[in-house]
Amino acid sequence: MIPALGLLVGLTIGLLLDPAVPVWLQPYLPIAVIAALDAVFGAVRAVLDGIFNDKVFVVSFLSNVVVAAFIVFLGDQLGVGAQLSTGVVVVLGVRIFSNVASIRRHLFKA
Amino acid sequence: MTTGPGQRRPDESMTLLTSMLERPLDAGYQEAADRRVAAGLPPATPTRTVAVIVMMVLTGFLFAVGAHALRPRPTAAASVKAELISRIESVQADGQQQESRIASLRKEVGDLDALALRQAGANDLTDTIRDLEIAAGVVSLTGPGLTVTLDDAPSAGPDPNPGDRPSSGFDSGRVASSDLQIVVNGLWGVGAEAIAINGHRLTSTAAIRFAGQAIIVNFRPITPPYVITVLGDAARMQQLFEPSFAGVYLAQLREQFGITSDLSASDRLTVPGDSVTRLTAAKPMTGSAAKGTTSPTDKATTGTEPESSETTTSPGTVTPGTSEPNQSFGASR
Repeated sequence: MIPALGLLVGLTIGLLLDPAVPVWLQPYLPIAVIAALDAVFGAVRAVLDGIFNDKVFVVSFLSNVVVAAFIVFLGDQLGVGAQLSTGVVVVLGVRIFSNVASIRRHLFKA
Repeated sequence: MTTGPGQRRPDESMTLLTSMLERPLDAGYQEAADRRVAAGLPPATPTRTVAVIVMMVLTGFLFAVGAHALRPRPTAAASVKAELISRIESVQADGQQQESRIASLRKEVGDLDALALRQAGANDLTDTIRDLEIAAGVVSLTGPGLTVTLDDAPSAGPDPNPGDRPSSGFDSGRVASSDLQIVVNGLWGVGAEAIAINGHRLTSTAAIRFAGQAIIVNFRPITPPYVITVLGDAARMQQLFEPSFAGVYLAQLREQFGITSDLSASDRLTVPGDSVTRLTAAKPMTGSAAKGTTSPTDKATTGTEPESSETTTSPGTVTPGTSEPNQSFGASR
């Protein structure tokens, strides 16, 4: 419950402050959002599985975001940024999907 | 994965996909839980630690910033376009208002002219002036006639990019200005007495032209369907028009390009007057100038130069040898 409240607080702060994102950061933002989403759903599933660990959550979150952004950066330097972004989105998308499916099984037993 | 050393999993070449699909959860969670169990602790840590909450606040912040920064906002071009459209519309409305004002003032001037002439004891001039006005196309007329409707071929479709320069040249399914010229000239040829296209009267100075893909009549753009209202002897015109060159041309347009055309007779049609008939440079020749070719409107609107006059091409004033007003559709194509 409290982490969900934290999420809401973060959303509100972001919407109220409305910080300007520097242009060089903008290509990494979508990937970072998807990586964060993946980490959050993984954490929710771990909670439901009864094996949640806060350190693992923080580390996986940060490493996910950083690695995803780094892959996109590397792809941009190599001229295959779009393809690598697609790859990252596919992998993280599949993970999000199966984690959400697992959460659904936990919550609805179906 | 847990097969014996001698066996290969049939999908071994796809381990990446398999692990991605079968174990979406970060493996670290299980390992950490195992470690905690081995140390005699419960497998899960509480979710209310500071680190988790800070992380969640950060996540929410990231989501909000991402959503806000990446949402496509209305571009400057779109707002400029909307502003231009509103400006065009307001100017158009203004123009229409001015036109109706011109029409009412013209009528007032005509009435005053007639009054002045009557007071001067020149009643016969009023009739002459009225005849000449009719011939010049200044006043609206009513009577029997034909309606010719032309429209683009259905295959031509609406212009996908109305604001863009046509990239592929001319679309043969569209009605061209030359088509309208040929039809109008053919109608003059079979005895039309007054013609209007989409409510724009064709006078001796009117022109049917094109700009881009738009057809311009009397310097005003018109849009399909093009309705040509023709006053005259309906039955005779219809009889003569269909076998004429223009009639055959229309039939060919229909057969080859699918341009739809329709010819229908009516007992009562109206063509409006043209509000902008005015000649400033042309003057009647002193010898052949008939008495009173100066139209009352010009006398009134161009009071400083009373010699300016209407040179109409109506049957009444046209010099022998010149044909009907169809000579006026010159510059186009």
